Amino acid sequence: MGTQETGESPIKSEGDIVTCRKLIRIAATEAGFGMTDVTRIVTAVSELARNVYVHSGSDGVMRWQILSQPGQIGIELVFQDYGKGIPDIEQALEAGFTTAGTMGMGLSGVKRLMDEMDVKSEINVGTTVTVTKWGRAK
Amino acid sequence: MDVDSLSVIKLKNILLVTVPDDPGDDTIHELQTKVLFAIEKYQSKGLILDISNVNILDSFFARTISETTQMVALMGGQTVIAGMQPCVAITATELGLHLGKAISTLDVDRALDIFTDNFKLV
Repeated sequence: MGTQETGESPIKSEGDIVTCRKLIRIAATEAGFGMTDVTRIVTAVSELARNVYVHSGSDGVMRWQILSQPGQIGIELVFQDYGKGIPDIEQALEAGFTTAGTMGMGLSGVKRLMDEMDVKSEINVGTTVTVTKWGRAK
Repeated sequence: MDVDSLSVIKLKNILLVTVPDDPGDDTIHELQTKVLFAIEKYQSKGLILDISNVNILDSFFARTISETTQMVALMGGQTVIAGMQPCVAITATELGLHLGKAISTLDVDRALDIFTDNFKLV
């Protein structure tokens, strides 16, 4: 009822990070995720949207899709930018790795919060991070 | 979220700040500055950051809290973080976040107890 199954939101400013969080909090809650999973998903959104805004040096976009399988609910989130790209994805996924003087928990932490994560990146073309979270359908 | 609407309340020797539920980076940063200037103005010896409304703590927010604690310490003050929600505690730990040297309490009442009993500040 009223659940928006798919959608997208631009990431061009700091304020867009908050907008992405609010949109996904509503979408994940309406999809039927519990409060702790909603917090995990929204936190992952915040980290990935900030990655796009801070690191990519370009505008980007977040797309989401509500998934359903028998007995399961899911949400897939795609963060795409057209920026400088990640030179070494494996290194970027290590805990503590940072190029921006932050805690370096971004990508590796997000991986722990979500069930699936895929990172594709090409230098000076851009980066696409896809994450999925599954839960039990009510 | 308008940063001017953030209230910094002076309680005897300490400051009480309630963080809004879903603060943007700007808000968090300006809150930090506002708190530090309030500490100077009121000659405060401690700070309670009430985060009971906060429903998301990401790495930027955690780093700013940790830095604020450090800045308050440089000015001679003690910071207590009060009221973290269970979901936020679970997620922050899984994400690998820490809040530096800040002391945490379940709620503002217990934070006040710490300032009364341990630091004799209230």
